Amino acid sequence: MVIMGARLHWGNRVSMALIETASLTKDYGAVKALDRLDLQVEPGIIGLVGANGAGKSTLIKILLGLVPPSSGRASVLGLDVVSDTREIRKVVGYMPEHDCLPPDVGATEFVTHMARISGLPRTAARERTAEVLRHVGLYEERYRQIGGYSTGMKQRVKLAQALAHDPTLLLLDEPTNGLDPTGRDEMLDLIKRTGTDFGISVIVASHLLGEIEQVCTFLLAIDAGHLLKAAPISTFTQRTPVVAVEVEEGADRLTAALTSRGFKARQEEQCVLLVLESEALYDAVRDTVADLGLPLVRVQQERRRLEDIFREPEQEPEPVAGGVQ
Amino acid sequence: MSAGNRLSASSPSGSIFDLGYRHYAGKRHGRWYAAWSLYVESLRGVWGFGRPMSAKAAPFILAGLYSFFAFLQLAFSSTLANEISSGQQVQLFAYDSYFTQFGFLLILFCVAQAPEVVCRDQRYQVLSLYFTRAMGRADYALARLASLATALFLALIVPMIALFVGDVLMKPDTISAIGVELPKALPAIPADILIAASMASISLALSSYSPRRAYSAIGLIAYFLLMEAVPAIIYAVAQQGGWTSADKLVLLTPITSLSGATDWFFGKALGADYPATLGADTYVVACIASVAVFSAILLFRYRRMAA
Repeated sequence: MVIMGARLHWGNRVSMALIETASLTKDYGAVKALDRLDLQVEPGIIGLVGANGAGKSTLIKILLGLVPPSSGRASVLGLDVVSDTREIRKVVGYMPEHDCLPPDVGATEFVTHMARISGLPRTAARERTAEVLRHVGLYEERYRQIGGYSTGMKQRVKLAQALAHDPTLLLLDEPTNGLDPTGRDEMLDLIKRTGTDFGISVIVASHLLGEIEQVCTFLLAIDAGHLLKAAPISTFTQRTPVVAVEVEEGADRLTAALTSRGFKARQEEQCVLLVLESEALYDAVRDTVADLGLPLVRVQQERRRLEDIFREPEQEPEPVAGGVQ
Repeated sequence: MSAGNRLSASSPSGSIFDLGYRHYAGKRHGRWYAAWSLYVESLRGVWGFGRPMSAKAAPFILAGLYSFFAFLQLAFSSTLANEISSGQQVQLFAYDSYFTQFGFLLILFCVAQAPEVVCRDQRYQVLSLYFTRAMGRADYALARLASLATALFLALIVPMIALFVGDVLMKPDTISAIGVELPKALPAIPADILIAASMASISLALSSYSPRRAYSAIGLIAYFLLMEAVPAIIYAVAQQGGWTSADKLVLLTPITSLSGATDWFFGKALGADYPATLGADTYVVACIASVAVFSAILLFRYRRMAA
């Protein structure tokens, strides 16, 4: 019910693509932070993954109008990032990666101030502040000075100030930075709620794929300024018919034998990875292992992980390209 | 942990206490409202409101000291009135010379509070939150400038009001005294506006170049001391050497120029300390030019600053 409401909300508020870029390029002298990036992203919880320096923060800064693109075009909610910067900022909430809170004021005072800077009248700003601080899980401590907060509480305040004016889109840059595992899970839960229960589109930039996988509906993977992949998260995490055969020794011989029998196999340490396209594969594995007399540890169907796309960015993100010939 | 409980309470099973997220459909103001909000917050911040008690100490002590002598005169106005009526010569504080006498306290006010206005946001990287909202960089810089100028104006005008009330109370006929004193006191308003604008623009432009409070404060002290002393020394030496155009250098001094400009507003002749070659109006022009130059430096600084 809530999720339906959320979708309706997205549908009402965002009739166009959330983000669109065309040949978006940003170079800092010799360094190309973004290189002819073409994107079209629909509303939802979008993960933006890439290693440090991949161009995530640059993309976010361009979307916010903090940095002008060198060439190409980008729009947020149908608004151009160069000509409609002010309009974009009215409907976008931003949580930077770095610390951004003055230590000598309370969370309530600070978030109210930021809500007013976003254009909310005084009373509305106070009400919204109380509400968002409750949503992010800050209660009595919200009157205390921010300087005395833990990292987790500070991250919550940062999220609250981004939510205070009820944006249509939230841009979160590494929101789990510096958090312990519990704090990280709570922050991810909060992001998920923001996207689903609150109906606010979220773009989460992170270099931790495991986190993105937990909360996002759509994934943008960028590397060295190039788009590696843009697809719904389900296509990244669906079970792929990969069978891992682990042997104590002789993985190389097993790989060679299976390859010679017409299977494309890849050795990964003590494992041999094979694409399962027919049940005959299991028989072939059993026979080959028996013929070679290898000490078999396990035969397991595996799920393809997000990390795989980074392991082999040049190829199809599958452990084994090809299959039974 | 309460936060954890809260989060689990928001799971689909729900809780009757969870009102859910409500969207905001009310009015949203634009950039002018944002700038006004920043101005108000900043003005409160200069005086330490909304901050710990320790933040109120410096501004209130310094502004209080600046006003102290005017209030002293007000407190003893009846005694002074008796002495004046008995024909004694009493040296009173006057509207036109008060700043010249006690202006150094306001320099200390700027040294203490200007870094508070602009360094904090740089040091704690709050600027990226402002610059990603519907507020321009120029709006930000000007709102900050206006807030410090207003705070200085308040500090300047309070002793003027105290002097005015004291002077009125010293006269036997209060109503006619207001009529006599008001025209004498009113030039304090434009003069104080100019002083506030000039000191605020200098202090903020210089402070904005360092995120560290201490460095900004040292820079401000150095600027005010050196710019007061060096042109005066060069002028004195040049007089001996017969270099006539050295008198223009006196226009670079921040406080002497403001004192000269104040004299122009009150229609008072410049004292013997000032170069005889320059009229009081020159100092007004010099002060307005300094406001323009330092405001431009401040705007330039924020235009280039990375968020």
